[in-house]
Amino acid sequence: MTLLEIKNLKKVYTARFSNQQTEALTTVNFSIEAGEFVSIMGESGSGKTTLLNIISTLDDATSGEVFLEGSPLSKIKDKEISAFRRNTLGFIFQDFNLLDNFTIKDNILLPLVLSKTPVREMEERLMPIVKNLGIEAHIDKFPYEVSGGQKQRVAVARALITQPKIILADEPTGALDSKASQNLMEILKGINETGQTILMVTHSAQAASFSNRILFIRDGAVYHEIYRGDAPAEQFMDRISKSLKVLSSRGELDE
Amino acid sequence: MNNRFFSSLALRNIKSNKQLYIPYLLSSTTIIMMFYLMASLLDNEFVQERSSSLSPLFVLGTIVIGIFSVIFILYTNSFLIKRRKKEIGLYGILGLEKKHVAKILFFETGFTSILSIAAGLVGGLIFGRLFFMLLNYMVRLPVDIIYSTSSLIVLATIGLFLAIFGITFLYNVSQFTFANPVKLLKGKQEGEKEPKGSIILFILSLVLLGWGYGISVTIPDPLEAITKFFLAVLLVIIGTYLLFISGSIFILKALKKNKQIYYRPGAFISISGMLYRMKQNAVGLANICILASMVIIAVSTTLTIFIGAEETLENRFPYENNMTLFGDVENVDEMNTRFFELQDQVQNTVYAEGLEVTESESYRYATFFGGVQGNEFVFDQGYADQENPTVLMVLPLEDFNGMTGKSYTLDDDAALYYHSTNAYKDSELTLGNKTYRVAEVANEFGEDMDLVESMAIVVPDASHLLEIQDDFKEQYPETNYLTIDAEVGWNTSGTEEQKEALAKKLNGEYGLGAGGSNLYDSRLLQREEWYGMNGGFLFLGIFLGLLFTIGTVLITYFKQVSEGFDDREKFQIMQKVGLDRETIQESTRSQIVWMFVLPIVIATIHVIFAYPIVRKLLLIFGVTNETTWLLSFVGVVIAFAAIYWVIYRLTSKTYYRIVR
Ligand SMILES: Nc1ncnc2c1ncn2[C@@H]1O[C@H](COP(=O)(O)OP(=O)(O)OP(=O)(O)O)[C@@H](O)[C@H]1O
Ligand SMILES: [Mg+2]
Repeated sequence: MTLLEIKNLKKVYTARFSNQQTEALTTVNFSIEAGEFVSIMGESGSGKTTLLNIISTLDDATSGEVFLEGSPLSKIKDKEISAFRRNTLGFIFQDFNLLDNFTIKDNILLPLVLSKTPVREMEERLMPIVKNLGIEAHIDKFPYEVSGGQKQRVAVARALITQPKIILADEPTGALDSKASQNLMEILKGINETGQTILMVTHSAQAASFSNRILFIRDGAVYHEIYRGDAPAEQFMDRISKSLKVLSSRGELDE
Repeated sequence: MNNRFFSSLALRNIKSNKQLYIPYLLSSTTIIMMFYLMASLLDNEFVQERSSSLSPLFVLGTIVIGIFSVIFILYTNSFLIKRRKKEIGLYGILGLEKKHVAKILFFETGFTSILSIAAGLVGGLIFGRLFFMLLNYMVRLPVDIIYSTSSLIVLATIGLFLAIFGITFLYNVSQFTFANPVKLLKGKQEGEKEPKGSIILFILSLVLLGWGYGISVTIPDPLEAITKFFLAVLLVIIGTYLLFISGSIFILKALKKNKQIYYRPGAFISISGMLYRMKQNAVGLANICILASMVIIAVSTTLTIFIGAEETLENRFPYENNMTLFGDVENVDEMNTRFFELQDQVQNTVYAEGLEVTESESYRYATFFGGVQGNEFVFDQGYADQENPTVLMVLPLEDFNGMTGKSYTLDDDAALYYHSTNAYKDSELTLGNKTYRVAEVANEFGEDMDLVESMAIVVPDASHLLEIQDDFKEQYPETNYLTIDAEVGWNTSGTEEQKEALAKKLNGEYGLGAGGSNLYDSRLLQREEWYGMNGGFLFLGIFLGLLFTIGTVLITYFKQVSEGFDDREKFQIMQKVGLDRETIQESTRSQIVWMFVLPIVIATIHVIFAYPIVRKLLLIFGVTNETTWLLSFVGVVIAFAAIYWVIYRLTSKTYYRIVR
């Protein structure tokens, strides 16, 4: 089943104090099946964050449309957009975006509280997730009292707790060292294996190698994609590095 | 690296932190202006000359604002420096030595303090002049009240605030010298910790408040009220801060524990936010509460004095025409004849004007000082002899009956008495060499009796007065001022013009300028001057009320704006994960109880407990009517609550605009 479909997406930024225009996305087309784990890679400035923000409804497209389960996101009313974001999407950010005034537990519960979920249900949902992510010992601490890797796992827990249709992650390993990155990616892979759809932006070939499919973006358009298939991890990594090299040399792909 | 480098760096820092510095400068400027204006009133002619009790009250007010300024500037500074910890921590990491960081901070503090002190003084001067002009125009007193200030007050203001800013500088430097860079980088994130021993603080706050309230409730007489008022105010202010700090944290934590309350969107955001900066939140609320109390007390008391002007005039001059007869020291008995002769003369004068006496009162009395010991009234030589002397007024039954319209009879060894503290309960009282069987009566002798501890004794006839005086002279043979005095008061028929003509005539004959041992006062002739003075009070009251209201606006504004900038990032993150505008509004709404209801309610409680002491102070100014006070108090509370509601709404909109 197609979960997410992106058609002819275009985004033009107009600078605030001049007429200078930046075309961040020219024409983007792709779709994601339910249960997939897709990575998006590309050079800095190629439009990855822009794409993700439009899918997250944090930003509007200049033209084109994003369909979730067949219905266009641009048709969601302003009033419903927050609830939509809370209930349907899960976010993981590069800089965690945890709130210092909440404990770890309250940070995770935040989207549920905003949806006015009964206290009992919240607590029932919380425990299995924090146990699974290995942060149950820290739930009464504050964000500034735990490590970066732990913070990102808290953010994952916050994204998961609403049981979203899709998790959107923008460079989730960007602020982590390699060991913590490895750990986080294993967690995401595990989550994906339970059927959770994930769309992730990353610069790291290693992180991308945990996904089933990788889209390469260049100059605001999908330029190339590779599937993992049944390939072992090293072989997939190899193919990713090769694709990246070709991408950055701006040469033609020959496969 | 020279000073120039550091000073330009400091200037750049201030500019690049505009968002933080503009509210900070604005609020410190206003508080300096407030202090300067208040201190200038000390020099004011009206304040110095109207009443001897007014000056000490304004000294008190100035000290209170001074203390308040210290707390307020430290509070705003702590906001500022917390938000800049990371930035300044970076200097350390980039290799600036601590003494260099201190230098930068020195210049920053220097610039901001010079700027705000200068602006505060200039603003104070302009505002003071303008506002006095406006008020003079509105109140239209017979004589304008002139705004004045002196270089001494300017210097005192500069000195005080340089010292306060000096403290903030030391505080800021200590923050950076004793913390390691990593901690500094995290400085903005970390929430405030609950103060140690908050239970003890809570108990202490109740003790201080109870003590302050206790002073007010048990104050025996007005003269003591002036001296103790300061202590009570100070206790209540400190108690309020401690109460808010310990109490609000206590309540917030309890709310957080209650999951059904805490895990609702509005409460979730606001409670966690308030706990995150629990001390700042508490100090901010306490600031609002204290200023609110000051506004209510200043305006409601002066309003009472103004509204009660007619009544105080009547207390001071119980009849349209009042005459005091001063006895002759050489010939004490002379009064007993002059008393009746003078009443006849007055009667004749009134008839001569074609008017009639409609109402009158007259009584003779002797005044003694001393104190009750057991069931004897022990004489002192004079008023100055004793710490708290009781004033004793002795009057004959004949005059008492005439004055009250009652018809008591007394045996030769019987007497009636009134005691202002209601402490005397014996059935016998010895006065000089004679012991009377006594019965208590209500206060028929005027509210003046309650100003200081006093006693009135009604003896069977005028000869007893003379006997008591003889006994007194036996004890203190060198006393040379013992007399019997008398009061005569009467109303007449006739129009206002006729009354005025009579008053002018009598004033020429017996008034202050005429000399002699009788003194005539006409209520009619005193009225204008009287209203002028009481209008002056109202003038000062409105001025102070306005000053404190501006303070309230400012503090509320500062609290909302600085918290808004503090919270902005959080709200943006929350919006990303699905917080909608309505919930933001809901969370700002759930502040109402804290920001609006709490300060107003506690301020009202303060003012209710201040009632007894304020009432005693009002007695000094001749106000005795409790209803007037109560009504103007209720009116002022409601009016201020309404004004504060507007302030609250506007500033919370500002907050909303910042965070959304
Ligand atoms: N708010 C904005 N206003 C104007 N131009 C913008 C804005 N945001 C992004 N851009 C521009 O759009 C282009 C794409 O930016 P985007 O942030 O999507 O890149 P990215 O692929 O996420 O890069 P990185 O890997 O560095 O995060 C860039 O050229 C950028 O300068
Ligand atoms: Mg990006």
